[in-house]
Amino acid sequence: MATHIGIGFSQDIDAQTAAKDAGFESKTNLGADRIDIAIVFSTVHYNPSQTVPVLRTVLNQAKMIGCSTAGIILSNTIETHGVAVLTISSDELAFGIGSAENLDTQDALLAGNFLARNALKDFGPRSRQAFMFFVDGKLENNSVLLKGIQDIFGSVFPVLGAGSCDDFHFANTFQIHQDNILTNAATGLIIGGQTSIGIGCCHGGRPLGKPRVIDRAEGNAIYSIDDKKASSIYEEYFGEQVDDLRSNQFDRLSILYPLGIFVDGSREYLLRNVTNIREDGSIICQGHVPEGSEVHIMIGNKDSCKQAAVQAAQDAKANLRGRKAKLVVVFESMARLKLLGRAAHEETDSIRNVFGAGIPIVGMYSNGEICPFQTVEKFKKPYLLNGTIVVWAVS
Amino acid sequence: MENFSSYILGGLGLAAFVIIGILILLLVNKNEKINLLARSFEKLRRSFNDLDEQAKLIVKTDLELNKAQEELDKRLGGLDALQRISRLISTTLDEAEIFSRLRQALTLHLAFEKSLILIYDDRRNLNCHVAIGIPDRNIPVFMAALENHAGVGAAMKRGNAFSSFSAPKEQRESIAHACDAEHFVVSPILSKEGIIGMIFVGNQSNAAAITQGDEEIISILTSQIGQALENARLFEQVYRSRQDLEAKIQDRTKQLESALAEVRNISKTKSDFVSAVSHELRTPLTSIKGYASILMQGKLGNIPEPVKERLGKINTHSDNLVQLINELLDISRIESGKAEMNLVPCGLSALIDSIHDLLTPQMKDKNIQFIKQVDANIPTLMLDPSQANRIFINLIGNAIKFTPQGGAISVSAKLNNDTVTVDVADTGIGISKNDIGRLFDEFYRVDNVINQNVKGTGLGLPLAKKIVEAHGGRMWVASTVNKGTTFHFTLPVNQPLKANTQDDQT
Repeated sequence: MATHIGIGFSQDIDAQTAAKDAGFESKTNLGADRIDIAIVFSTVHYNPSQTVPVLRTVLNQAKMIGCSTAGIILSNTIETHGVAVLTISSDELAFGIGSAENLDTQDALLAGNFLARNALKDFGPRSRQAFMFFVDGKLENNSVLLKGIQDIFGSVFPVLGAGSCDDFHFANTFQIHQDNILTNAATGLIIGGQTSIGIGCCHGGRPLGKPRVIDRAEGNAIYSIDDKKASSIYEEYFGEQVDDLRSNQFDRLSILYPLGIFVDGSREYLLRNVTNIREDGSIICQGHVPEGSEVHIMIGNKDSCKQAAVQAAQDAKANLRGRKAKLVVVFESMARLKLLGRAAHEETDSIRNVFGAGIPIVGMYSNGEICPFQTVEKFKKPYLLNGTIVVWAVS
Repeated sequence: MENFSSYILGGLGLAAFVIIGILILLLVNKNEKINLLARSFEKLRRSFNDLDEQAKLIVKTDLELNKAQEELDKRLGGLDALQRISRLISTTLDEAEIFSRLRQALTLHLAFEKSLILIYDDRRNLNCHVAIGIPDRNIPVFMAALENHAGVGAAMKRGNAFSSFSAPKEQRESIAHACDAEHFVVSPILSKEGIIGMIFVGNQSNAAAITQGDEEIISILTSQIGQALENARLFEQVYRSRQDLEAKIQDRTKQLESALAEVRNISKTKSDFVSAVSHELRTPLTSIKGYASILMQGKLGNIPEPVKERLGKINTHSDNLVQLINELLDISRIESGKAEMNLVPCGLSALIDSIHDLLTPQMKDKNIQFIKQVDANIPTLMLDPSQANRIFINLIGNAIKFTPQGGAISVSAKLNNDTVTVDVADTGIGISKNDIGRLFDEFYRVDNVINQNVKGTGLGLPLAKKIVEAHGGRMWVASTVNKGTTFHFTLPVNQPLKANTQDDQT
């Protein structure tokens, strides 16, 4: 009974060479003949139509999912240009993968159902441990997609996820499922077998200013806050700059100053990135927003980010209940990369300090994270989060 | 009853009054509490509003800080990238490799959506050497737009960058449109010769607008590219010159080798000829000398005195001729490598003493003082004694010949590392500079009074020199007319005999 982990990375400027090098390095580090699952993170500098066929060949047509990212997290470095491949070969773990396409045009709840069933079909009737998925980060209804997944697995089943993103241009992202390069899609992986998965998430954001109440909201749209049009919350804080921000830099502003929804019993606010401000002043968030909830503009700094990373790592480690981690995977909001800048690697250093040197760490920067979030309810329920670092460790 | 009723009524009235009073007091108290609460609420509301105002200030400050940090990160990242790129392109002197490395570095470290490096050729036409993020079919349009743009041209002439950050809107729009990049920098690549090309970097996304920092970094980068290309071109020139020079040297070496082979061939032919002729001459000479001796001894009957006198001359001249032929044969043998040096341990001091003994009568005849100075630390040398004797006999014999009455001859030997240097000096008539150059030529005799009166073969010094060289040493001479001459030669210490090959002889 053994689990082998291999991580490969390349920055070669030629896409095919980068894919080949990263694939071979991962296979070499894996040290096993069989590859049970391959997870690919690629920055958008690499054309997936060139990298994916090479990776499929190099990785012996093994099960493969992945997505585009703003940056790749590795044990010793953060890279904003490259291709990373995680391969796992295990007698203890089992994997099933699936995908759902055309999410922008179909019912998100049904798409979530389909994604979960699709992965389960590949997985078979075995014990399930967690579900992980990558979804197009530009989509506005990912909370509903999550709900659709939870309909199949149960509302407290551990679901993890990351929104695919690009290099802060908020334009082109992609998801990978086997040979297919997808957009407006989600691709998922169910993990099962004899293993423990420890999960922790934290954002470190702090509420700013007076509390406001969301008077009217529906799904991921907020229409009114404190009897005013919802956009007033940003207009009041950013004043004259909001017009400029609305026109071309709102995505960047939103990831730095998301909305924070107060959740009873939680030690942290639930963060929501704003993806759009409509002409009528309503705000479109990346995830579901409950009507009547208390809302703040949120703010963070480098220290709070680093403390959050340590907290998430400690929670994930504690959830392993004393077992030693074999692999640490990190999904981290691209907002944090922007906030931390050149100090981004310090978060990884903190995570490594928690788990101990020598534990392989791999991850990606995302636009939207999915992770079980502690509320007053007994069990942690997965939520769509923003501005968060999600650390999951496999023992 | 009435009193009781009045009493009751009075009591009730009093109670009502008291109750009303209490109620009034309670009401007043409540009002005060309400007022207090209202004031507290108002205070709280004001605090919240103050807090919110502070929050707005914090947000604005934070936004500015974020922008500053982003710009700072960008500049630091740019400097880091510059340092990496500079290291990459400065460690090669191959122009094609510089562009290859730039392609990689621009992609990895500077991460602009579009990059273009254009270099002028010898005819001042722009050629594209690096293109990132631009389809091949669009490159000519791109280049034409840059080349024909008045603003870009003016900036290039001044050696300045032209960018979307600093250029007037009306000037930058045409570039932005043609190059499909709203934000861009065009900067000249300068070398000592002037503008050798230009670099273009650009982004279409508003999220990646060009800043002053970008403009500065690209300007620094272009000067580094210019420097690297200049170095590569200089190296190319030096390399080509060296190649030409090497080709010329090879040609000249071949010519020399050919000439050398010819000289060797001639030398061998000469040696063979001399050897053959000498052998052929020596046999009849032996007969002549033998017959002359028989006649002189009267074995064939008495001969008259004049005939005997003539026979004596025949005998003497035959001896001279035999000596000449023997020396010629020796030189020929040494040159051809046929003469073997029979090396045996030999004490230099003893050898000089034996020569001194041999030549003492001649020195006494001319009252010449002989001085010997041999370092005590000179070890035993490996020499062929008979050949070594000939060196000293030749040199000291010559010295005696050219040193006037009462002069002095000194022989000294010193140890220098792994060689012994021997000097044979006289206080003779000396040799002119013109003659020194040919002194070791075979048959060359210095034209002076002494040589005119004393016969010689002109082979003694060449032979001595050949013997020294056959021992692995060398010989040279220094002289001042009317003051004297010193012959120097070296002999190796503990060195095996130098191979006596044809090469050595030449």
